[in-house]
Amino acid sequence: MRKLSKLLLALSFVVSVTSSAFAVTVASWGGAYTESQKLGYGDPTAKALGIEINWVDYSGGLSEIKAQKEAGAITWDIIDLFAFDTINGCDEGLFVEFDFDKDFPAAPDGTPASEDFFTGMPSKCAVGNILYSWNYAFDTRAFSGAEPKTIKDFFDTKKFPGKRAIYKSALTNLEIALAADGVKMGKGGDRLYRFMEEKDGYIDRAMNKVKALCEDPNGGCVFWSAGAQPPELLVAGEVVMATGWNGRFFNAEVGEGAPIKQVWDGQGLDYEYFALVKGGPDEANAKKALAMMTNTEMLAGSAKYIAYAPWRKSSLEIIKAGEPWYKDGKTEMMPQMPTAPANTKNYFLVDPFFWADYGTEIGEKWEAMKAGLN
Amino acid sequence: MSSENKILTTDGLPLEVSLKKAEKRNKIKAFLLVAPLLLFLLITYIFPIGEMFTRSIDDRMITNMLPKTFESMKKWDGKELPPEEVYRSFYEDYKILAEKKVHGKLGQRLNKEKNGFNSILKRLFRKVKSNQIDESKSIKEQIIKIHKHYRNVDYWRAIKRTAPPYTINKYLKGMDMYLDEDGNVAQVSEDRRIHRILWLRTLEIALFVTIFCFLMGYPIAHLLATLPMKYSNLLMICVLLPFWTSLLVRTASWMILLQQQGLVNDFFVMIGLVADDSRPEMMYNKVGTYVAMTQILLPFMVLPLYSVMKTISPSLMRAGKSLGGTPFVAFWKVYFPLTIPGIGAGCLLVFILAIGYYITPALVGGASGTLISNQIAFHMKQTLDWSFASAMGLMLLTGVLVIYWIYNKLVGVDNIKLG
Repeated sequence: MRKLSKLLLALSFVVSVTSSAFAVTVASWGGAYTESQKLGYGDPTAKALGIEINWVDYSGGLSEIKAQKEAGAITWDIIDLFAFDTINGCDEGLFVEFDFDKDFPAAPDGTPASEDFFTGMPSKCAVGNILYSWNYAFDTRAFSGAEPKTIKDFFDTKKFPGKRAIYKSALTNLEIALAADGVKMGKGGDRLYRFMEEKDGYIDRAMNKVKALCEDPNGGCVFWSAGAQPPELLVAGEVVMATGWNGRFFNAEVGEGAPIKQVWDGQGLDYEYFALVKGGPDEANAKKALAMMTNTEMLAGSAKYIAYAPWRKSSLEIIKAGEPWYKDGKTEMMPQMPTAPANTKNYFLVDPFFWADYGTEIGEKWEAMKAGLN
Repeated sequence: MSSENKILTTDGLPLEVSLKKAEKRNKIKAFLLVAPLLLFLLITYIFPIGEMFTRSIDDRMITNMLPKTFESMKKWDGKELPPEEVYRSFYEDYKILAEKKVHGKLGQRLNKEKNGFNSILKRLFRKVKSNQIDESKSIKEQIIKIHKHYRNVDYWRAIKRTAPPYTINKYLKGMDMYLDEDGNVAQVSEDRRIHRILWLRTLEIALFVTIFCFLMGYPIAHLLATLPMKYSNLLMICVLLPFWTSLLVRTASWMILLQQQGLVNDFFVMIGLVADDSRPEMMYNKVGTYVAMTQILLPFMVLPLYSVMKTISPSLMRAGKSLGGTPFVAFWKVYFPLTIPGIGAGCLLVFILAIGYYITPALVGGASGTLISNQIAFHMKQTLDWSFASAMGLMLLTGVLVIYWIYNKLVGVDNIKLG
């Protein structure tokens, strides 16, 4: 039975193997994001190393790579994924473990790679790529007087009546709910996570806060699931405020001139990583390509196309020196970065360990809460 | 009858034998003809379902990972914290796993049983790796110092629950239940009971979508079957057009049409049907799901109905009327019964497709947009709990089969007609 299943799974991958031999295949999220990766560092790396880099789209999660591995026919070399996926994948033995200072080049001034990274990696299998933000934006046409400025304002339906759009699952919603409910975040949000993990009642408190917002006749919730939705809901006038990914808001605001404005108070900084697949079709070249794509210069390149911050501190120097860095030649990128000092006065780092460990149970509670909404 | 009297064929064989031979050859030929299809069904259908089933009950991995622990847990009643012996054997098992570098898999597996396990195991791993645990002293004392969860009996109960190599736990979990350490079926805590709600919601949505599709599809199919060819062809294209459009595009267009500031609401306000500040909500709730799914699944209802109605002679209705029936009676007593095979086929098709939908509800359904299939996708992609996903997939399949069986009892499967 096992053997037959392997054979079957293998058969289904054979076609893709033959078509992608002798090239490094990177699986990423597609759209404007992959475009920024391809133009920013994919193509330059391919050219410099004289190899071919193929980009394939996938929709996140580890199911595909796990299936490829079980079939014994791995077709992807590098995957772009969330922190908790790198943790789970590392535990499952899907990815190569790195020795950061040996495997990745130092910054131009000689700072070793591990110190040049914005913060420590969540697992030995992950190398940082970008930082993005879960912040919120509001419709500038909706409020004539005062504008929302803090995370508390997002939940304040008296001062700012109207519907809100929030992410469909509990991720980051609990954090902002607690922060808005008066819980001090602590440095990088560590207090929030410590309380939720160790003290009883904090998760329920956060859920109740969200529930109250959704049931408020002056408020109400729309749940978004795709990243393109929040700016669209705002522009359509469907909601007055929406949480979302800052790159998407930036594209709407700067790229398309939409009447929206971002609020950075209480933002959640989150990361995107690359992982190197163990036993991928071209592991040696993939490793070389990965080291190059994540070096100082290359990472800065992707910020030309999208408002996500590079993982290396030294990349920021390149952007600063090259302002205006955005591809339109007139927009300064530094103030748009989630890591800009003005934007990180009150923020939390989305904790992948917390969500990897407690995500399922919280998810069940969250869905039960949603099912009870009237 | 003696052998001499047997009728012989020209080549000297008894007719009976010769006939059997020919029949056998025909049978083999017939079988060879269907063999590719049979093989196809076996490979793409029977086999994966079997694989899903084994996956959903197979829990041997952890049984093999913690042999000593389970052995020593046999004597533990699960009421209070386990004795030193259990802690020690758990530590010994874990040490072996850590040496083999497969401890991560154990953490993953146990975290599915009880959230929070993975991180406390990682803490233990760090201690084990740096040799900080003194084996000559009480292991229990040292382990419970690592994290307070090790002092929580729930975590040890969770380990005990995973002992059997085969388990129906995943199926119970799909119904918000679990086997407690005494082997009794228990309910999960109230604020986490979500699957039963999702099952009911999935059924409800599939049922209503089927009804709406039927109510809308029947007149359309009737029109298609009775109109002259040149009009009906045009109408047919209109029915089929959505078929050729991507599912996501259709869902997105409904979002544009139905949202509160959308076209339909704008129109209502324009003609003065509703006030501008009290626009009805037609999106991000069940209404949105019903509308979008009904439109998407409508062709699956219209086509079988149409193909059945096309075969009904119009003279039958005329005969019914000339025998004294009002148009309604003629329709109800003559026409409608003849269309039942088409109704059966259409309803089954739509219902079965609707029960597995999840992208459309997730996009347009708002808070009520999570269905059981979303949960399956979540466990496939995010938590990697494939055995739970398999169990729920099979429960869904069983549900469909039960509905098929009920349908068979009520209407009869022979009465299904796709054309």
